[in-house]
This record gives sequence, structure tokens and C-alpha cells, in this order.
Amino acid sequence: MFRLQGSKVLAVEMTGDAVKAKNGSMVAYDGRMAFKKLTGGGEGLRGMVARRLTGEQMTVMEVRGQGTCWFADRASEINLVTLRGDRLHVEASNLLVTDAGLRTGTTFTGLRGAARGNGLFTTTVEGHGQAALLSDGPAVVLRVSPRYPLTVDPGAYIAHQGEVRQSFQSGVTFRTFLGEGGGEAFQIRFEGDGLVYVQPSERNTIAGDL
Amino acid sequence: MSFREINSKMVEATVAPGRGLFSQRGAMLAYRGEVSFTPNVQGGQGGLMSMLGRRVAGEATPLMSVAGSGTVLFGHGGHHVHVIALTGDTLHVEADRLLAFEDTLRQGTVFLGAQGGVMGLVRGQATGQGLFTTALQGHGSAAVMAHGGVFELPVAPGRPVHVDPQAYVAHRGDLRNRLSSALGWRDMVGRGSGEAFQLELSGSGTVFVQASEEKL
Repeated sequence: MFRLQGSKVLAVEMTGDAVKAKNGSMVAYDGRMAFKKLTGGGEGLRGMVARRLTGEQMTVMEVRGQGTCWFADRASEINLVTLRGDRLHVEASNLLVTDAGLRTGTTFTGLRGAARGNGLFTTTVEGHGQAALLSDGPAVVLRVSPRYPLTVDPGAYIAHQGEVRQSFQSGVTFRTFLGEGGGEAFQIRFEGDGLVYVQPSERNTIAGDL
Repeated sequence: MSFREINSKMVEATVAPGRGLFSQRGAMLAYRGEVSFTPNVQGGQGGLMSMLGRRVAGEATPLMSVAGSGTVLFGHGGHHVHVIALTGDTLHVEADRLLAFEDTLRQGTVFLGAQGGVMGLVRGQATGQGLFTTALQGHGSAAVMAHGGVFELPVAPGRPVHVDPQAYVAHRGDLRNRLSSALGWRDMVGRGSGEAFQLELSGSGTVFVQASEEKL
């Protein structure tokens, strides 16, 4: 059971079950807990090989036990997401805790990932359960519908869920090469039907420098 | 209580004749009224011996004493500030996390080795706390700094609480702390979960934990 304590601390009550959490993000617990680093993070050997190759090394630990465990990471804001069979795409560094019932994997994002400053791959979370996302500042959830597509700064993007297609959009003109760019050279465009999570802060990306 | 939280990162303290404060040097942001700030060479209360004790212990954060009558705003480094009111019990806190405290509180230095002998020393080193912590005792309140918000966890007999040493801020009450390690062969081969050491607090009291693993 996930419960937010303030906006920066997540309390997870456990009764013998397990959750997957970002390595080293436990701040306190009562009761009995065991911490184990998961090999790879993805499912099975294939997941492990994929992670090694992709560099999407979400170092994950499995926390199992009875009692309450509190998680926090660098005073980042925490957002709870409930999944009901759908799929959440998230940057590995923004994923704090996932229910044991959720599967995690890696997908290829291509050039978009590179512009986002996070490499070519993102993490996917699927199944039924809750996940806790990290954001630098309180995140907003923006709705994407077929009539209203959404364009997001790659550095401010954290996650998206639902049936959403993403495409990469560049606003590079000759001015950018003259050093007169507006700092918004690349954007991600979302079309379809779903939700996009955006944080009020920008990671350092290639796009932000142009 | 002479501290009032203006927002999560700033406190306002009221000083009056006979009701002074000690604060970390340079933590004053603004003041109203006739208030004087004098650097406290001794680094706090007590006589010459206490001063020497703190110097030796490395718990001698530069303090200043604040006196006069008026109100003073304190804040430091954009850290979150948490006000803890003491009613006769003891607060253990790292000296550099202490933003300000009322002079009605008695300040002392605790040798960690006194609690658990050699393991106490190892604990201090492993947690980055050093070998000594500051103890405040009496009636009054103290403002403590932390990175991210602070939350309180009650500790009751038979229900010990484990805290990440980096996220530990302070504790009050009658608590014993012990460094428990979950070191296994996995940590030796570099496959640790990042939670190899934990502070185990048992007894009855309250632990203050910050929402971050960053030391100040």
C-alpha cells in the first residue's frame, strides 16, 4: 500500500510482499525488511542483457518484509501513478518504487532519447499496481487527446501512459547555428490518447543548449 | 515557544531581555528591534572546559549569541527548517544541523563511544557523524536544518526503527542507537542494494528523518 507523507516521502506498508525501489532510496523502516539488489532489473536473462547493452541501468533493489518502509530521493517530489493493465513509459532515473505486481522492461526511443539527455532507451512499467515517480518540483499531468496533441520540452518530460505516439520535432533553423537559438531547438510531440507527466524543471539536454 | 515557522525554510525568533538565543553564525537573514549579535568564542554554553571539549570533539560550529529585544529571521542555505520543542527531554543532533536554539536549553557534547564502546566509534565513522554529537536538554525549542522536509517517526519499545544514516537528522527521548549492517557477500562483490548500513534506534522517543540522502 503506497501512501505519500508530505510530498517528498513515500511510505509503503508491507505484509510479507515485495516492492522494487531505486537503489539506496530507503530512508527509514520499522519492522523487518530485507534489501536485495536485483540482477539487471528487467525480467530474466534477456532483460539483463538488454539493460547491459542499453545502459538504461536502473539499479533496482527488491525490498521485502513486514512493516512500513519510507522512501525518498534527494528531496525530489513524488507522484503516485496507478496502473490498471496499461503501460507507463518513464525515464529510469525518475522511477522510485514499483509494486511487485508490475513488470519493468526497456524500450528503444531512438533519437528522441538522445535529445532528452537520457540515452536511447526508456523504462516501461506494465501491469496492475502502483508506481511512484520522482520529479524535480511538483509534476503536472497533461491530457493528450486525438484532437489536442501536446508538445513537451525533452528536459521537462518525465513519463507518459496510455495509447500515445511520440514523435520528435526539431525547431532548428539557420539561426540556431548562428548561436541565436531560443533554447527550444527540440521538442517531443505526443499524439493519441493518454497522459503525459511534466516537471517544472529542465534536465540538461542537448536541446537546451541550442 | 519563541520560534515561529514563516515558511518551510525560514523561522522567526523572538528575543527579549533575559530570553536570548544561540544561532549558527551568519544564519541571520533580517531582524527588527534592538538586537545584538555577538560571536561566541566558546561556541556555546558552559565554561572553558565545555569549550575545550567541543574543540576537541570537532562539534564547535561557530555560534553567535543573540540578545536584546525584537524579532530575528533565521535561515541557511535554502535548507528546510524544523522546529522542535523540548519539555525536559534531550535532543541529540549534529552541531552543523543546528540552526538556532534558546539559551534555556543546556548544551552538551556526547561521545558516541560512550554508547556501545568501539561499535559506537565505528558507527560514528561509518555514518559520517564523527565521534561526537551535540545534546540539548531542558525546556525550550531548537530549529534544526535538513535537506528536504523532515518527518517524525515514533519509536516504541519492541518496535525499533531503522534509518538510513545519511537521512538521519536528530532524535529525542530515551533511545539507543546501534549501527546494524546487512553486509552480505553481495556487497563485497559490488552488487549491494545501497542499504548496507542502517542505524537501528530502539527504546522510546522520536526520530527525525529527512527526505533525502544528502548530508548538509
